[in-house]
Amino acid sequence: MTILQTLVNGIVLGALYACLAVGFSLVWGVLNIINMLHGSLIILGGYLTFFAWHSYGIHPLLALPFVAIFIFCIGYVLQLTLINRVVNEPVLTTLTLTFGLDLILYNIMNVYYTATPVRVTLDLGIVQIGNIVMPVDRLLGMALALILTGLLYVVMRGSRIGRAIVAVRMDRTAAELMGVRVDRIYAVTFGIGALMAGAAGAVFSMVYPVTTNLTGAFLGKAFVVCVIGGLGSVPGALVGGLVLGIIESFAGQFFGPQHALTVGFLLMLFLLVVKPTGLTGIKGYE
Amino acid sequence: MLFGSRWSFGVRTAAAVAMVAVSVSAAAAADVVKIGAPLALTGPLADEGKKQEDVWRMWLEKVNAAGGIEVGGKPTKVELVKYDYQSDGQRAGQLAEKLITDDKVNFLLAPFGSGHTKIVAAVAERYGTPLVACVSSSESVFDQGLKNLFGTLSPNGGMTTAMVKFFKSKVPDLKRVAVLGRDDVFPRSMAKAISAAAKAEGLDVVYDQLYAVGTLDHSAALSAIKAAKPDWIYVTGYTQDLILARKQMADLGIKAPIITMVTGPAYKEFVEALGELANGVTSSSWWHHATSYDGVGVWPTTADFYKEFVAKHKDDPDYVHASCAAAMVTLGDAIKRAGSLDKDKVRDALVDTDITTFYGPVKFAETGMNQVRDLPIIQVQDEAIKVLAPADIKNADLALIK
Repeated sequence: MTILQTLVNGIVLGALYACLAVGFSLVWGVLNIINMLHGSLIILGGYLTFFAWHSYGIHPLLALPFVAIFIFCIGYVLQLTLINRVVNEPVLTTLTLTFGLDLILYNIMNVYYTATPVRVTLDLGIVQIGNIVMPVDRLLGMALALILTGLLYVVMRGSRIGRAIVAVRMDRTAAELMGVRVDRIYAVTFGIGALMAGAAGAVFSMVYPVTTNLTGAFLGKAFVVCVIGGLGSVPGALVGGLVLGIIESFAGQFFGPQHALTVGFLLMLFLLVVKPTGLTGIKGYE
Repeated sequence: MLFGSRWSFGVRTAAAVAMVAVSVSAAAAADVVKIGAPLALTGPLADEGKKQEDVWRMWLEKVNAAGGIEVGGKPTKVELVKYDYQSDGQRAGQLAEKLITDDKVNFLLAPFGSGHTKIVAAVAERYGTPLVACVSSSESVFDQGLKNLFGTLSPNGGMTTAMVKFFKSKVPDLKRVAVLGRDDVFPRSMAKAISAAAKAEGLDVVYDQLYAVGTLDHSAALSAIKAAKPDWIYVTGYTQDLILARKQMADLGIKAPIITMVTGPAYKEFVEALGELANGVTSSSWWHHATSYDGVGVWPTTADFYKEFVAKHKDDPDYVHASCAAAMVTLGDAIKRAGSLDKDKVRDALVDTDITTFYGPVKFAETGMNQVRDLPIIQVQDEAIKVLAPADIKNADLALIK
């Protein structure tokens, strides 16, 4: 019984991990940018949702699309005006730029909202099947992760913009010659990554305390999930998140919570050595 | 000969200028008491750093408005030299060094938390600069034989034995305790202290684990705790960890008659971020404004401090505010008693400290820590903080969680 509960805990946690990693993975895969802003964007989404709820009584699920679109705009503008200038430089340059932007955003939030943890105290309750308990807000996070991932998959496969993103990822020069406006595609891609972060933040505001203290933890998780699942692949983020969630859950149960994170990192190191393309082994969006 | 006299003139002039400069700087030094503080004004600890800064400013304004501290019979203004160390421990150490060597501060105040206090204390010790810490309570910081470190919080151990005894007296069939602590200086030492105290009092510690810094999920630990069927769940960590842990307890349907979180309920944001879920959670704290002490300093009584704080900040002070304000009161008192800014004399005066402040008695033990005393046990009831013990300040009875 405990094992089943541990597995369920792991799956639900894994879905949250996938949720926070999908956008990060997309940006990394297509733009080859390690987006250090990702954690702060999630928290920004959390804050916007929290204040919409706290000041105007707007339900987080209602606020979610607006928050996501707003953060899409931030991402789009950032990429178009700043990151595009260095996007073709080595990865260290873009990393430094996003790191700097992260410091700015992080400290603005610290000054404006303070680091005091807040939370949308809206408890959606639990679903109980036999002895197995599942919190509704986490199931919601899971649904969101699946929907976002699915949507992204469809967009990448079916839409003009999706094909353009894939084309740019495969061969930037050729895509440019075919008339794809590469800078716009970059901006849209970064915007979608930001949108995913914002949407994750909206769901997280009901699960986690919203505080700038967590930006680093979220970013670190996104990183590990991507390495485990496979860099730059959306299904990879889903697989990586679920695997990490389940492993941490079982490790916490059997080795104690002190070692749960260690086991996750060990898996990452192991995969880096044995299978650097990650569990799914898919590269990009080919 | 001509050259010789010119040279000697030059040398004499230079010597005279140097002497004037020395006496000017000595006069300047005596004109103002310089207290240095590395503060976490940005980064994860920004809120805590701001609390320290707020009460220190309150104290400074009050002291300087009255002309300053009396040093050897002469009122001397006080200046606080502070730097933002961005919640980065290494930088706190570097800035402490800069404060001592560059800014030539007379005394130092420590930043928030046992970990960073330890780093700054090592620097202060190297330069023999007295350091007063107001938010460090782990014995592991004070048992290093440092001569210059003084702390206004009393040892963690004082919070645990009294709590176990209190709960045992209120709940006679209390038997099984589960302890979950954050693997970090203060939370770890509290978790260890409570499980030792519980065992010493004959309770069964049915779960005793630490979780790593950066843990984003407690479901595994909490599921194991649920299976152990404890009567009392004791969790330590920072506010964000505790909010998540309490939320997940509700998610997983975990109940126990007593749930203690340290130091969660000592901060109002814990209650705000949890709403109804906060109700029933107990904790201990080093101070609560329900206490009433009468002593020395710019705020002779607890009520004086409380009134002024609320008027200024429109909010209740917590133990961080009180302890840090008391650190300033204590340092000011020691300087006055020493009658000098000499570091050795003030250190000796700090050692001899035996005063009562609005915050409570301050008397440093051999280690430099404030003496052990009865600390308040608190509980959230109807989303407000109530004091359960000690008996002379209690304003509510323990309510078990149903």
